[in-house]
Amino acid sequence: MRAFRRKSAGYEAAFAPEEARLIVQLTEQIGAMLAEPAAGDAAVLRLLPDAYPSDPEAAAEFRRFTAEGLAERKVLNGQTVATSLAEASAATSATKVRLDEQQAQAWIRAISDIRLTIASRLGIERDDDRPNADEPLGEIYDWLAFVQESLVVAMQGRL
Amino acid sequence: MSMPDLLEATEHDVDLREQTVLGSPWVTIVWNDPVNLMSYVSYVFRSYFGFSQREADRRMMQVHSAGRAVVATGPREEMERHVEAMHDFGLWATLQKADE
Repeated sequence: MRAFRRKSAGYEAAFAPEEARLIVQLTEQIGAMLAEPAAGDAAVLRLLPDAYPSDPEAAAEFRRFTAEGLAERKVLNGQTVATSLAEASAATSATKVRLDEQQAQAWIRAISDIRLTIASRLGIERDDDRPNADEPLGEIYDWLAFVQESLVVAMQGRL
Repeated sequence: MSMPDLLEATEHDVDLREQTVLGSPWVTIVWNDPVNLMSYVSYVFRSYFGFSQREADRRMMQVHSAGRAVVATGPREEMERHVEAMHDFGLWATLQKADE
């Protein structure tokens, strides 16, 4: 992977086919998880947290009015990421991926959702918690941090 | 300054006072999590709330070291919109009365 950089219009990185396919797969898994959320799934609760920590009634009401829309937007963000990686996924060598501002906004949110979900599955709960060295998801978790950091830094230049 | 401007400014002041006296304000709080990157949290604060780089970094560091930071104060409906927007970004945000 070559990190994201700011271009005259939008942002550009390069992904190997297996890297692009991995991210597409992860967005699909998040989409499936949000489409049929398992009761009490910690990852879903982290993506759609209680808005009122000490008022269960108000929290339930907020959830009733916002959760569906939030979940839909998260699924759409994932689909935007997958679409922008379609060419790189089908390629046989590293391929440039170009994003406009709107796609970049979907990317930073979708990567955050993926990393939050991985962290929930790996039990990362405190600042000094680290994934086990032999945990493949841990490597993906760190790599996605690198991907997101490079995009965020590029986007900061436009604020 | 022309007269209409003066009148506008006065009305605005009255609005602010009414809000402070009649409705107890609410706050939007962003909580620390071990996942989201410091650069990302700062970017969200800058791009969404319009904070300067320095102010965004200050509140991000407050989240990081104190565990939470107030990022907005105002009417309940407005704070609910902010909380929803933070959840969109994957940030852990809640709202409560300012004096809670």
